[in-house]
Amino acid sequence: MEALLFFSVFVIATCGLIYELVAGTLASYLLGDSVTQFSTIIGAYLFAMGIGAWLSRFFKKELLSWFIQLEILVGLIGGISSAALFLLFEHALSFRLILYMLVGLTGILVGLELPLLMNILKNRYEFRDLVSRVFTFDYIGALLASIVFPLLLVPYLGLIRTSCFFGILNVLVAMIVLVKFRSEIKWAAYLKIKAVAVILFLSGIFFWANEIMTFSEGMAFRDPVIFTHSSPYQRIVLTRSKSDLRLYLNGNLQFSSADEYRYHEALVHPVMMYGGSRRKILILGGGDGMAARELLKYPEIEHITLVDLDPSMTRLFKENTLLTKLNSNSLLSPKLTIVNADAFQWLKENKETFNIAIIDFPDPGNYAVGKLYTTAFYRQLRHSLNDSSVIVVQSTSPYVAPKAFWCVNTTLLTCGYKTIPYHTYVPSFGEWGYVMASPAALYQQHDQLPEGLRYFAAGVFPQMRLFTADMDKRAVRPNQLNNQVLVQYFEDEWGKYQE
Amino acid sequence: MNGENTRSNTLTRKDFLRYMALIAGGSITVGQYVACQNKTDRYAHITGKINGASAAIGHRIREGSFPVPEVTTYTDTLIVGSGIAGLAAARKLQQQGIDFKVLELEPTPGGNAGFGKNAYAAYPLGAHYLPLPNLQHTALLELLEEAGMLTGYDAAGLPIYRETDLCFDPEERLFIHDRWQEGLVPQFGVQAAALSEIQRFLAEMERLRQVKGADQLFAFDIPVANSSADPVYTALDQISMRTWLEQKGYHSEELHWYLDYCCRDDYGADAAAISAWAGIHYFAGRKGKAANAESSQVLTWPEGNGRLMQHLLQFSKESLLPNSLVYQVTPAGDKVQVDYLDVHQGITKRIVADHCILAVPQFVGRRLLPARPPAANFVYSPWLVANITLDNIPAGSGYPLCWDNVVYKGRSLGYVNAQQQNISQISPDKQVITWYLPLDHLDPVNSRKYALGLDHAHWVKLIADDLAIAHRHIHALIRRIDVQVWGHGMIRPHPGFLTSQERHAVQQSGHSNIFFAHSDLSGISIFEEAFYHGNKAAENVIARRRS
Ligand SMILES: Cc1cc2nc3c(=O)[nH]c(=O)nc-3n(C[C@H](O)[C@H](O)[C@H](O)COP(=O)(O)OP(=O)(O)OC[C@H]3O[C@@H](n4cnc5c(N)ncnc54)[C@H](O)[C@@H]3O)c2cc1C
Repeated sequence: MEALLFFSVFVIATCGLIYELVAGTLASYLLGDSVTQFSTIIGAYLFAMGIGAWLSRFFKKELLSWFIQLEILVGLIGGISSAALFLLFEHALSFRLILYMLVGLTGILVGLELPLLMNILKNRYEFRDLVSRVFTFDYIGALLASIVFPLLLVPYLGLIRTSCFFGILNVLVAMIVLVKFRSEIKWAAYLKIKAVAVILFLSGIFFWANEIMTFSEGMAFRDPVIFTHSSPYQRIVLTRSKSDLRLYLNGNLQFSSADEYRYHEALVHPVMMYGGSRRKILILGGGDGMAARELLKYPEIEHITLVDLDPSMTRLFKENTLLTKLNSNSLLSPKLTIVNADAFQWLKENKETFNIAIIDFPDPGNYAVGKLYTTAFYRQLRHSLNDSSVIVVQSTSPYVAPKAFWCVNTTLLTCGYKTIPYHTYVPSFGEWGYVMASPAALYQQHDQLPEGLRYFAAGVFPQMRLFTADMDKRAVRPNQLNNQVLVQYFEDEWGKYQE
Repeated sequence: MNGENTRSNTLTRKDFLRYMALIAGGSITVGQYVACQNKTDRYAHITGKINGASAAIGHRIREGSFPVPEVTTYTDTLIVGSGIAGLAAARKLQQQGIDFKVLELEPTPGGNAGFGKNAYAAYPLGAHYLPLPNLQHTALLELLEEAGMLTGYDAAGLPIYRETDLCFDPEERLFIHDRWQEGLVPQFGVQAAALSEIQRFLAEMERLRQVKGADQLFAFDIPVANSSADPVYTALDQISMRTWLEQKGYHSEELHWYLDYCCRDDYGADAAAISAWAGIHYFAGRKGKAANAESSQVLTWPEGNGRLMQHLLQFSKESLLPNSLVYQVTPAGDKVQVDYLDVHQGITKRIVADHCILAVPQFVGRRLLPARPPAANFVYSPWLVANITLDNIPAGSGYPLCWDNVVYKGRSLGYVNAQQQNISQISPDKQVITWYLPLDHLDPVNSRKYALGLDHAHWVKLIADDLAIAHRHIHALIRRIDVQVWGHGMIRPHPGFLTSQERHAVQQSGHSNIFFAHSDLSGISIFEEAFYHGNKAAENVIARRRS
């Protein structure tokens, strides 16, 4: 009997802390900036618990029934909290408001629990004894929660299941109390039905957690989704597994933290070797700051202008600590200016010229993006270059889409650029292609590379320029605004590949 | 970068999604049903207004009785009308340093090539594209070069166009059998026999494109005036396009629809109402070529031919007097007196000029000159153009959104997504599309009456329902519809008109210093013809000043 009640305290305490941790984690996943999120969530939660504790004075009769009601309610609200937050994240006008309301509500309910329980137990135990035991189990529960949460729960259960699981525990406490104190409880049958219903409901969520996640996502991702944001331009999704953080834009993989260094080193360092003067750099696209990170390894670079359409991308990669760790805070560098604008439009108005331009747009999978790979675009770009400037264009996979890849090359040639097509292997993408280009003849002008590269080296580049028969040059037409052949090649080839 | 999207799809997950989709679908349908019940009026939220060529002011010419002008000024050449023809003439005169004025009835210039603007986009009010010009049409090629739209010639002598002025891909799609297909020639779900008939027809048009008459002129050319006079071909003007099709053994429904569409597109009436010569000219007259575009492509801009009009306008900015209704043109010795109503001030004024170019349609021009016989053969197709502001343009199933989007057997000609010509990835908050309706369900006079009598709410219903054929849920997306009625939109080349005595006679004003210039003189209403007549009138003025 006694053990049972104190076990309840232990469970309640664990659950209470878990809800708090879930909310804090979710908030930092979804809103970024973990320090702020965690401290405000904890503060709000504790304050709400205080309100709960204060409210407990108004419960005078039928304490056991109320306690059971409360446990069921805490179980329900705490249990569905993370599923609800994931689902609402996209649709809610003010997600923060909902988040804090939920945190507040859970806090109030959790804050009610212990005072209520102590009131129930006060006539059964000596007060001194009661206080000491309740708080001991409370703190042990908290310790347990804080250890298992990061080590076991998040990695193995995920957030949605974790909160469901603890919600169910909460309701189980209610059930146990209900059974044990049957005789003292009013509306027992009604409460039992209610508890069973909530347990079933939460088990359902627990069981379908992945689907809920996916459904909230509208599409299936390999790993748990930790962040989603729909900007007017694109849908940004971050997923995370144990060792790997992945960014998807409109469902297309942009990088995997495990091997993005291969992609970005191959994007940046060859063009730096071939560029004569390297003082002023232009990045088009590349709002993730990874290309900028590679560039900042060259002290001679004076200034980088980064033009990316989407302010929410650049903000995310400037502020989210997970991501700034990946790009080494490159977007906060004083050498870098971020311009949130449409690249084509911006080039039309730009008066500056750049020594090097790195063009890292999404793949030409639709007619809108296809415009950024046309002769019109590269001709416009020419006005922002010197005669000796060097550029590089990410050009999709020459293995999967050889016609699309060679179309980028042909398009640049048509505009009078000299080109060096090359490719590399990026495990998460497969074989990936780039085209280096310049208005002047291309030759290697530097052999000094920055320290600490993990993949690229001067000796590797000749290999990257070799194309095996299955990726080799195809006869293709240049991509123009009025034919958009690139989009057609790309769709044909990737379409077949994905069938 | 594209990678694998994701996998690990188990069956249960798929089932779950399907199940969720069903529930979601169900609740949406129920929701909509409820919404429909609550709000039977699906149109009430749509705002906008009716604009139109100032018909009421124009009609005052017919009523006559203007007070004698008090103010008199002088100029060398007076141009009445600032459509493409008037502005082309002005450009020529300006280049020669000749003093001129342009009087325009409307507050803004351009006539049928005018354009409008709202917070989201500029859009055409009428004309919206120019096919690639024929290589012999050097005057037009020069104009395009001057405007920077033609950047040079390749080694083979083919013009290179500025890419941003060519129609961006994807260009055209057709909604047929509940699906969008690529291109306007019916293909999706069309029987093999009909398809081969269409192929035969297109091959025939290709042949006629190159054919020359006994006079060594192309049988069909642009401008029309350069076409062969060989009776073998001009005889085609006596029968309708539909009769010609039948005579040649073309019977398929799809081909007949396609020709109705083409005739309505260029002439505002179907193949039964248009002469075979004009119907064939639609295809065979166009022989344009380019180094960097297919022959069939067109030049177009977000504001339609308003872009070309603005280029022309630079030459007459200072000389243009808008809100000026010319009501009388009187030859006086070797001068011409042009009387007009300053619509703003409400007073009449007179300009005395050495020469006058009447760049207005015949139905106006003949009333301005004294004792001019009525031009009964000049029939004009009324048109309606609507600019529709929407939250977004639904894609529909099948081929993606194009510049030109036509519905098979639709009442309208579908809509043009002129904003596709923007290079930016950023699309404005709202989209504007331009919807075209040739008013040919009644004869021109009654269609015109019908159109002018319809109120905005009726237009909204008609237009939204028409769009809903291809986009079922479009009503809720529409914010605003601005309607432009063109009572006398296009000259109609009905059988016999192009070869008629009247059309030839009308080219002369009967006065040595007064010249006509309007696309209707060609009997075919396209930019090239307006431009041709404007130039020709200016050349006549220049020649007369020299002599
Ligand atoms: C709906 C529609 C769509 C079209 N689409 C195309 C297209 O896509 N491509 C194409 O090539 N062509 C198109 N056209 C044909 C178009 O008419 C011609 O291309 C060209 O713009 C005609 O120019 P214009 O100068 O001959 O005549 P108008 O444009 O008719 O010019 C005549 C001018 O005279 C003014 N005026 C009339 N009376 C008076 C008066 N009494 N006093 C003063 N001013 C007066 C008028 O206001 C007008 O500005 C379209 C026409 C319509 C109606």
